[in-house]
Amino acid sequence: MTAVADSPVTPAERSTVRAACPQDCPDTCAMLVTVAEGKAVEVKGDPDHPFTNGGLCVKVNNYLDKVYDPGRVLFPLRRTGPKGSGRFERITWDAALDEIAARFTAIAEEHGPEAIMPVSYLGTQGILNGLNVGDPFFAKLGATVAERTYCDSGACTAYAMTIGDTAGVDPESLVHSRFILVWACNIMSTNLHLWPYIAEARRGGAKVVVVDPVRTRTAAAADQHIALRPGTDGALALAMANVIITEGLTDDDYIANHTVGYDAFVERVAQYTPEWAEIETGVPADTIRTLAREYAGAQPSVIRIGVAIERHAGGGQTVRALACLPGLVGAWRKPGGGILQLPLWAFPVNWGAFMHPEMLTPGKRVVNQFQLGEALTGGLALDPPITALMVYNSNPVVVCPDQDTLIEGLKRDDLFTVVSEQFMTDTAEYADIVLPATTQLEQDDIMFSWGHLYVTYNHRAIDPIGEAVPNTELFRRLAARMGYTEPVFRRTDQEMIAEAFDWSHPHMAGITVESLKERGWQRLNVAPPESYAPHAEGNFPTASGKAEFVASAAAGGNFVLPLFRQGSNDHQPGQPVDPLPHYIPPRESVHTDPELAARYPLNLLTPKAHAYLNSSFGNLTFHRQVQKEPNVLIHPDDAAARGIGDGDPVRIFNDRGEFTVLAKIDDAVLPGVVVSSLGGWRKHSKASATLAAVTPTAFADLGNAPTFSDTLVEVEIA
Amino acid sequence: MAYVVTDACVDVLDRSCVEECPVDCIYQGDRMMYIHPDECVDCGKCMPACPSDAIYWEHKIPDELAVFTAAAAEFVRAQQLGGGAADTSVGVDHPIVDERKPR
Ligand code: SF4
Ligand code: SF4
Ligand code: SF4
Repeated sequence: MTAVADSPVTPAERSTVRAACPQDCPDTCAMLVTVAEGKAVEVKGDPDHPFTNGGLCVKVNNYLDKVYDPGRVLFPLRRTGPKGSGRFERITWDAALDEIAARFTAIAEEHGPEAIMPVSYLGTQGILNGLNVGDPFFAKLGATVAERTYCDSGACTAYAMTIGDTAGVDPESLVHSRFILVWACNIMSTNLHLWPYIAEARRGGAKVVVVDPVRTRTAAAADQHIALRPGTDGALALAMANVIITEGLTDDDYIANHTVGYDAFVERVAQYTPEWAEIETGVPADTIRTLAREYAGAQPSVIRIGVAIERHAGGGQTVRALACLPGLVGAWRKPGGGILQLPLWAFPVNWGAFMHPEMLTPGKRVVNQFQLGEALTGGLALDPPITALMVYNSNPVVVCPDQDTLIEGLKRDDLFTVVSEQFMTDTAEYADIVLPATTQLEQDDIMFSWGHLYVTYNHRAIDPIGEAVPNTELFRRLAARMGYTEPVFRRTDQEMIAEAFDWSHPHMAGITVESLKERGWQRLNVAPPESYAPHAEGNFPTASGKAEFVASAAAGGNFVLPLFRQGSNDHQPGQPVDPLPHYIPPRESVHTDPELAARYPLNLLTPKAHAYLNSSFGNLTFHRQVQKEPNVLIHPDDAAARGIGDGDPVRIFNDRGEFTVLAKIDDAVLPGVVVSSLGGWRKHSKASATLAAVTPTAFADLGNAPTFSDTLVEVEIA
Repeated sequence: MAYVVTDACVDVLDRSCVEECPVDCIYQGDRMMYIHPDECVDCGKCMPACPSDAIYWEHKIPDELAVFTAAAAEFVRAQQLGGGAADTSVGVDHPIVDERKPR
């Protein structure tokens, strides 16, 4: 490898720059970017990185298509036509900043600063430019706090209540697992680099079972696929616990020494028999028994959950039940045993240095972003109403539920909307001011991972294109224009990188900014995969230090981790939480709401697309070609009953809205289930709507997780 | 959607690509490798690994080689391949490969 550049190389040199994929994906791949004469000419995976292993994925192999796409927003723009018309004129950064500062100041004076709200998520997930990049600015401004619970918030609350915020299992330890239970996670499309570890375990004799309502690529590749009705995962998990206890398959020594609340748990799960679960899930009782026996018997066993599992009414309690299972059978004793949710918790990220929660005004109101449409249109009683939005790292028109209401809100003439973006997204089209944002190749950053245990450094490979700026620079400029003088608003990117981690934490031993810059990535200083078993002797980061069947943290009621709400702990949802795992059926199902199901009999699932990452890449020609025209998978029986043929345009609708895609008749889905992948843009859709038009804004039971998978619809020929 | 092996592989068969594939979807015919189009996950690792530059992405394959895209699909269907490649050859090839002169 040639010299690694810290900043853009001098033209004419050809060099390789160490970088990191910025997408909201567990794999956080280490990338190598080749730069020639100031232009990036190749992006590939780092072959030396154990997890990335030289491969990226279908989304990012063509990252240069994104960087150099002619559709990039390269200059600040001001709207010239009606909202949504897409008519803009180029303005200078000075003019844009003046206008934003003047409007924010005037709105704050007239209505109070909470009339302004940030809207953002993880369009880029670097520690500098990602989740918390705007938090100090909006805290200082006194804006409404945005609660951002798109992904894993519900699972995090549930998981933390049960076993604490532990990294759980090292994904690389999966080669040592004897039984791998992949639960509602399409690894081959969304966690690709984990598969080789699973494949290796399998070659060594491990059994791989996939639980998913859909026969995904991952389910098709497994030894066994257990298809269950959407949203009934909790019933299956609790019935597994029932079998394990009834048949005496428990690790009594582990339970006695490293768990609390076992007796109450035994009493609770007695009602969840396999026969009961069969009626609820559609999975035969004998299949459930065999699954429980094999899971308990083949140690170490591991459960891999993805982000889909929380997306229904009882998603939180489902994760609680699943997080109890490893303790029940002593799976934690050995490397490769336990539950794999977010290895993120092993990283001592210095979140406080980025959120600065102490800058928040105590008691500041909190609005969840799923309710943005309602917040803008009077559906939420807000005083003062929202009068200004600042959107960055997100394309809410595509990813937020209740699309029609959101569009109605964004069209409001009295709403001042600023969008910082790489492209003219469906959301940016409704902006008053659009600001140009850099891609990962044009910015420095440093990355945690939520799918492995390596810290990764992202060197800026090329100069920003046009007048694009990293999010860090965007907020430095805005803060300066607002007259904010605190040191936090004047930090350079390098100063922020120096603050990114608690470098004195034992996990960071041997890792410095300098070593990361040079090597690109380093494994946290934790035990190697062959001996990584942090809970072999308990030591859970819970109040009791044990795995809690009865969760002590439930006493304070439901909560969202402050990380997902700018560090605020005010106005938590707070509703009472039963401290014992239990079953909460889906809200929209024939069992819970027969009247609704009579009108809308089909369960819609909206998983991540193979070629898009949420809505990222959904605009690029190449990625659209790979992903093909948006479609809906429908079972042959359901299609026949509706006279739908393969390839027919169909209308998918419920009381919230409708969207139109092509039908794909496929028995990979259960009868009664339809599947349409997320990420296609509204402007490319048939009939100006995407699946967000029909998904609900209602929360799941814990952590204000979304209930995207708890959606009934009807489908008919368009 | 998939990567596609083309005729530069014929009679080479050094299996460098097989080493790289995370999902074992590259099947060996008598004289050429075939990537299972439904099992390939588009990770792109096999392409740079091939010393013969025989592998292309379906979406970027030169027109004159596009026949191999269809050939792979036909071959895996005809031979009923799936579920992970074995270490051994299937023993036959697609007719398009049979036509090639030995190297
Ligand atoms: S999206 Fe995920 S798999 Fe693809 S390159 Fe980025 S981190 Fe790797
Ligand atoms: S692209 Fe990846 S999955 Fe497809 S054949 Fe090549 S190595 Fe295998
Ligand atoms: S690496 Fe290339 S030449 Fe070698 S077997 Fe694979 S496709 Fe054929």
